[in-house]
Amino acid sequence: MTTLIRASAAQQQGKPLRLAKRVLGAALIAAALVRAISVSAAESYPLSFWAAQTVNGLVLGGVYALVALGYTLVYGILLMINFAHGEVMMIGGVAGFFGLQLAAALGLLGGSSPAAALGLLLVLSFGMGVAALTGVTLERVAYRPLRNAPRLAPLISAIGASLFMQYSVLLIFGVRPMVYQRPPLIADGIRLGVVFIPLTGLIIFVTSLLLMGSLFVIVQRTKLGRAMRAVAADKEAAALMGVDVNQVIAFTFLLGSALAGAAGVMLGLHNGVIKFNSGFIPGLKAFTAAVLGGIGNIPGAMVGALVLGLAESLGPSALGIPAEYRDIIAFSVLVLVLVFRPSGLLGGGEVEKRA
Amino acid sequence: MSIVLPVLRDALRRGVIAFVVLAYLTLVGLPARLGNDAPLIFALLAMVVLGLLLRRAEDCGGWTLLVQGFLAGAVAGVLTSALVGGLAVLVGSGVRLQQVLDKLTPPNLAAWLGVSPAVITRNQLGIIEVVRLALWLALAGVGGSMLARLFRAPLPIPAARQWRWLVIALPFVALGFVIAMGDASFPLVAGQRSTVRLLFALLAVGSGMLALRAAQPGLERRLVASALLVGLAVLPFVLDQFQNAVMGIVFIFVMMGLGLNIVVGYAGLLDLGYVAFFAVGAYAYAFLSAPFSSPWFSQQLTQLGLPTTQPLLSFWQALVPVMVLGALGGVMLGLPVLRLRGDYLAIVTLGFGEIIRLFMVNLADLTNGPRGLLNIATPQLFGYDLGNPRDMFILALIGSGAIAFIALRLERSRVGRAWIAVREDEEAAQAMGIHLVRAKLLAFAIGATFAALAGQLYAARQINIFPENFSLFVSIDALALVIVGGMGSIPGVVLGAIALKGLPEVLRGVDEYRIVTFAALLVIMMIVRPAGVLPADRR
Repeated sequence: MTTLIRASAAQQQGKPLRLAKRVLGAALIAAALVRAISVSAAESYPLSFWAAQTVNGLVLGGVYALVALGYTLVYGILLMINFAHGEVMMIGGVAGFFGLQLAAALGLLGGSSPAAALGLLLVLSFGMGVAALTGVTLERVAYRPLRNAPRLAPLISAIGASLFMQYSVLLIFGVRPMVYQRPPLIADGIRLGVVFIPLTGLIIFVTSLLLMGSLFVIVQRTKLGRAMRAVAADKEAAALMGVDVNQVIAFTFLLGSALAGAAGVMLGLHNGVIKFNSGFIPGLKAFTAAVLGGIGNIPGAMVGALVLGLAESLGPSALGIPAEYRDIIAFSVLVLVLVFRPSGLLGGGEVEKRA
Repeated sequence: MSIVLPVLRDALRRGVIAFVVLAYLTLVGLPARLGNDAPLIFALLAMVVLGLLLRRAEDCGGWTLLVQGFLAGAVAGVLTSALVGGLAVLVGSGVRLQQVLDKLTPPNLAAWLGVSPAVITRNQLGIIEVVRLALWLALAGVGGSMLARLFRAPLPIPAARQWRWLVIALPFVALGFVIAMGDASFPLVAGQRSTVRLLFALLAVGSGMLALRAAQPGLERRLVASALLVGLAVLPFVLDQFQNAVMGIVFIFVMMGLGLNIVVGYAGLLDLGYVAFFAVGAYAYAFLSAPFSSPWFSQQLTQLGLPTTQPLLSFWQALVPVMVLGALGGVMLGLPVLRLRGDYLAIVTLGFGEIIRLFMVNLADLTNGPRGLLNIATPQLFGYDLGNPRDMFILALIGSGAIAFIALRLERSRVGRAWIAVREDEEAAQAMGIHLVRAKLLAFAIGATFAALAGQLYAARQINIFPENFSLFVSIDALALVIVGGMGSIPGVVLGAIALKGLPEVLRGVDEYRIVTFAALLVIMMIVRPAGVLPADRR
């Protein structure tokens, strides 16, 4: 899937402006680096702190990557931002919460036997399944009728769907946050020198890598994957070649939403709690990750997510600013990338134009 | 056979969809709110839903449609009664459903079945009530099939050119009721007097916008417009404090909506962080009029040897810096996002709004954090305090009027045409010699100025402002009212503000469902009527 960003106002910017922008960008990056070096040279934090933050950043990055893939897949095919994708993730997390409770009540998660691992896998698949169902329904109800509508219509519909899902969850399940009880199997962690790696984090990271790998295989090696790429390249031509476009789009939503559901369960395990608005900010950050890597680009989403996860966990301490500004770092990254390199890190040099 | 099978399949499908809608409404707890009338209201609702679903039923006239409606209703009825009955039995036998599904209380289920909640808690539910519910919904299906006929017919509005006087008379009749209700002898239930009157006032303003559209362009429209203006001018003096307060908020949102309408409606730049400018205006005025609330400001003032207990500028003097700051904010947001379009722009502006909010919460030295800025001065005129709800409503009216006038002039100017060209096709607009950068920045700056003005008025009205007053939902509300009213249409903005900010005040009981309703409305609106209720004249 190629990068499909339209830039026309950019062409109006003359050479001096572009040069000014480059200088400004370089200055910003240099300032951040100098600041980071001076802060870390002051050694206000021990090495173990940095190691723990790195682990945390990688885990967050893994979660973001799974969500970012959903944005990228849908964008690649429909050229629209599925604004409600974060909420699909949240619903996966809610399903995972109830799955976990049910599994615990049935005694599936006790001890450290392989049976407990299987139980955990079942919970994960349940979350993925519910999220996939949500995503497909979302596409059918809120996006498909608008496929030929003016370009703002699907986005506004997506905002509506996003709010609808958040507040429906609030109304249906009440205001109590859903607290994930970590099963004993993964409650502990491993110690590697100065680094303590919680098992949940390790599992999240490995699972997200596995899921991303399988997605890559599905998109690159299967017939449906080929159909997806064909639809992304040209819907009409794909339809003429006998590809059922509606089915392919539904399948794309299914894939992306299943990954988001997995991310929701993982976020629940990592943070220990899921609320009705748990999907919103992570969704925005995952979108940032997708843009950072180059939207429409699958490896880009993974790289972007890891970079963003690390920037977010290491950034506040490295720049010596309070941790409350974590979200500001993510949003600033988004704005800066869109301004200085809208095609993203892996999006290729030239911005492709498309009518 | 060849006819029967598709009919059955369609009926099944539609019945299941209607069931999903009803089940959702049960899960969010609507039946308990409706009380004894729940079965009837839900039957009517099912009728409308089925009617809308059956509208699309192809080539089946008369009896087939009736049968299909009955079947779909029966499917929905059997599923719903099975769900409700099953849940009722579960609750009755002591399962604590409410721990998972918050709203599944006995009164909620009892309202569906038309029994008292005690029947459910004691597990005495009979099969008759459950069957009755199914029958009700099946009948609703038959009604729905009749409604479907109606829905299929084209709307009769355009044909009613000669009936337009009825529409034009509507706001004045409503205004008459509002005035009449001010008299204590008007027959009304005492407890609801104020709410009903507010409803009529909202109706008067809302239908006024319809009347404006219904009138023939030219002299007739001008006459109607001036009569409506007179009516609006009367309104603040006949309403009571509560009604004036609601109207004040409605018109502050009209001011904001008119500004956003320039950015989104005219120039087609989807801005989801619009609250940022509203916040800039409110905080700027708060700093100027209550510097003692901000630790940093009072420290600076003490160092300069200035008194810290008084406002630096009055409300009227503050108008200028607030507008300048708003415009600057608009340009500062506009510059980095110039090359972005549609979806990207939406997300970046959303991020920008969040950044502003995070700063408001975390820059405690400047903004006093979540404790907010307190004791903001109200506007004064010749020693007379304008802080009461009535005068605030009048100020909001004047502000909206001025902004509407400027917006109208802009829309019909060279700049306005440039915006519309940019909205429709950037490349073509550029090829026609429109300076994209200038047009977009101007839209951002003007929209932001209006929002800042609305923010200033809001701060003066609230007296104390807190970061949570400027959450994302203000942006969403503003956007929703522009879209529901009709993008690019000034009467649409007023109608949207009435519908989205005014009506919830009347429907206090269902306030809980406000956001879900808006959200669903946004989706439905985009599918059914993407141009809004009162679309712009020129598309």
